[in-house]
Amino acid sequence: MKLRDQFRFVRQNMKKNRTRVFMTILATAMGCAFLIVLASVGFGLQKSVVKEITERRVITQIDVHGKETKEQGMFRPLNDKDIQIFEELKDVKSVTRRKMLQQEGTYSIGKYQEGTPTFVTNFPAEIKAGFELSEGTFPKSKYEVAVGYNFLTNLADKDAGEDLYDEKGQVKAEYLYKGKLRGKEIKLTIRQFKAGKQIEKTIPLKVVGISTKPTKEWAQDSSVFISDEMLTEIERFTGTPKGYMLDANTNKVPDDLEVNKNAYDDVKIYAKNMESVQRISDQLKEKNYATYSVVNELKEVNMVFMIAKAGLIFIGTIAILIASIGIYNTMTMAVTERAPDIGIMKAIGASPKTIKRIFLLESSYIGLIGALIGTVVSYGISYTVNFAIPLIIKQAFGQETDLNLIFSDIPPILPIICIVICYSVTIISGLRPAQRATKVDVLKAMRREV
Amino acid sequence: MITIKSLSHDFVIGKKGRQTIIPVLRDISFTVEKGEIVTIVGRSGSGKSTLLNLVSGFIHPKEGEIWISGEKVSDLNETKFADFRINNLGFIFQSFQLIPSMTAFQNVELPLILKGINEKERKVQTEQMLQKVGLLEYQDHYPGELSGGQQQRVSIARALIVNPPIILADEPTGSLDSETEEELLKFIKELNRDLGITFLIITHDDKVANIGNRKIELKDGRIAEEVLV
Ligand SMILES: Nc1ncnc2c1ncn2[C@@H]1O[C@H](COP(=O)(O)OP(=O)(O)O)[C@@H](O)[C@H]1O
Ligand SMILES: [Mg+2]
Repeated sequence: MKLRDQFRFVRQNMKKNRTRVFMTILATAMGCAFLIVLASVGFGLQKSVVKEITERRVITQIDVHGKETKEQGMFRPLNDKDIQIFEELKDVKSVTRRKMLQQEGTYSIGKYQEGTPTFVTNFPAEIKAGFELSEGTFPKSKYEVAVGYNFLTNLADKDAGEDLYDEKGQVKAEYLYKGKLRGKEIKLTIRQFKAGKQIEKTIPLKVVGISTKPTKEWAQDSSVFISDEMLTEIERFTGTPKGYMLDANTNKVPDDLEVNKNAYDDVKIYAKNMESVQRISDQLKEKNYATYSVVNELKEVNMVFMIAKAGLIFIGTIAILIASIGIYNTMTMAVTERAPDIGIMKAIGASPKTIKRIFLLESSYIGLIGALIGTVVSYGISYTVNFAIPLIIKQAFGQETDLNLIFSDIPPILPIICIVICYSVTIISGLRPAQRATKVDVLKAMRREV
Repeated sequence: MITIKSLSHDFVIGKKGRQTIIPVLRDISFTVEKGEIVTIVGRSGSGKSTLLNLVSGFIHPKEGEIWISGEKVSDLNETKFADFRINNLGFIFQSFQLIPSMTAFQNVELPLILKGINEKERKVQTEQMLQKVGLLEYQDHYPGELSGGQQQRVSIARALIVNPPIILADEPTGSLDSETEEELLKFIKELNRDLGITFLIITHDDKVANIGNRKIELKDGRIAEEVLV
């Protein structure tokens, strides 16, 4: 018997009891839609989180925090030797390294002042990693400095007091320094305790360069970059490595700072592309460096979502299993009703295999139509949910939701998973009725005794 | 064409532990030659239908052999017998056994569908066959919309459509009035003469019994008499 004819047969048979078949398809479609929509929440949230992660930092960036020493679990800061090792790794674009002044320097122009982190950095490496100036030049001499773009947005009137910030926590425009910054003299004040008394030193510096405005909010940078020689001068004043500010009571420099005087506080490797991040991270891990990159984070996030999605799909499968009881019922009734016809077909020479195939075809037909309808419906629901939930939240709580949040996402793999599950389930539930159809006794059927 | 060797059969009824064995056929042996019409007669309950059902493969014999067209069909399994049936045997039943939800055309076409013939070919052959039994204009009627005689002609058309060399018939005239019975007998004779189709016909009607070349009488499950007509 040709497949085409089997199909026609099945369609004819299904027409005989439209309502019953329709209800069965409906139940299957509901099961499938339930599965897809449920799992789509997992996919959607994962997509949101991954998007968030990859947008929050430079994805090719690998932070290296230190190297594990012979003592397990202890890490030492990185030095020039480590930097050299990193630079020799394959697909490394740049290795930026910064030493950080171990106290917050206070910078001031007239009555405007600001406290901000101070670094010594290697500019060629920074430039290769994408550091750019919006105006001016990179510092060349001891008293020249470059500042991050947001240095300007924090340099404010020191007398403003309470009134300085607006409700969003930003400095009010009226108190901001509005003059030109480049070429201006700016005073750095550093402090130290000597014999239980705080002493201060003010160093005049000249701003020669300002970095470009960052495109992302999280990339705000108000750091000041001073020269190596300036750090040495500061150290001479404080009498401690990297200008460490002593505790008024103990007067002691921590041991590890003393030992790692020339170590870097902030080392970042920039890979040539996203793909090599994983490989570079692995190589570093092998060499006992503690690293952190977007890959690590994504790995964990994806793992969690993997489990969540599997759980959701499992719950959805239960809905399909319940729908399959309907299919089993429908098929069993169909076999019973059609037993006389089956008997006649067998009498004139239909083989049990053909009979079985027709019934399996019918149950899988119901399953597939159900799955397809379910898929279409779930796309509709998913779309509606993404559209409606932010509105509902806005209505209910009167606040805008994070626009990036995707509540429901249906990647192509999801309908495929659903159809495979649904198809398998319907085949299994149709198997017994189909088997029963082959067992119909010809003589009983012809006597209408079944 | 059909050879039956020492065929015996009995039915077991009742539940396990309290079973009764009903002997139906005892040591039946006979042969039907190619091109013959052989009729089997006997009183009701003598085992005629059981014999034909064994030959048709609807039940499996307890003892003995059945050969059809050189094939030992009593050894075939269900699937193989189905194949054999559709290629070698045509059936005419007392109660026609048409599928009520299918039109005359679809009922006649059914064996061709099962054989996997393509649609175009099927249409040609089915229409030809309906023409032959004089029911072409009734092709879209459902069995319920046809008279007994017409239904029987549809069932004959269905039996003939695959050109079987043998036709087995159990009380073919049992549900027909005497006029349509005459017509049917005439048609059977024609098919036998023109197409050389072999017939094995079961009946308890003398008129039918005498259309054949030979008549076998069953009595209490045994062959009581075999006479040339
Ligand atoms: N399926 C069956 N189960 C039990 N007994 C049966 C069955 N079929 C037929 N018989 C018995 O076998 C005997 C012969 O029946 P059957 O072959 O139909 O006779 P006939 O066709 O000559 O009237 C009867 O006594 C009948 O009761
Ligand atoms: Mg009988």
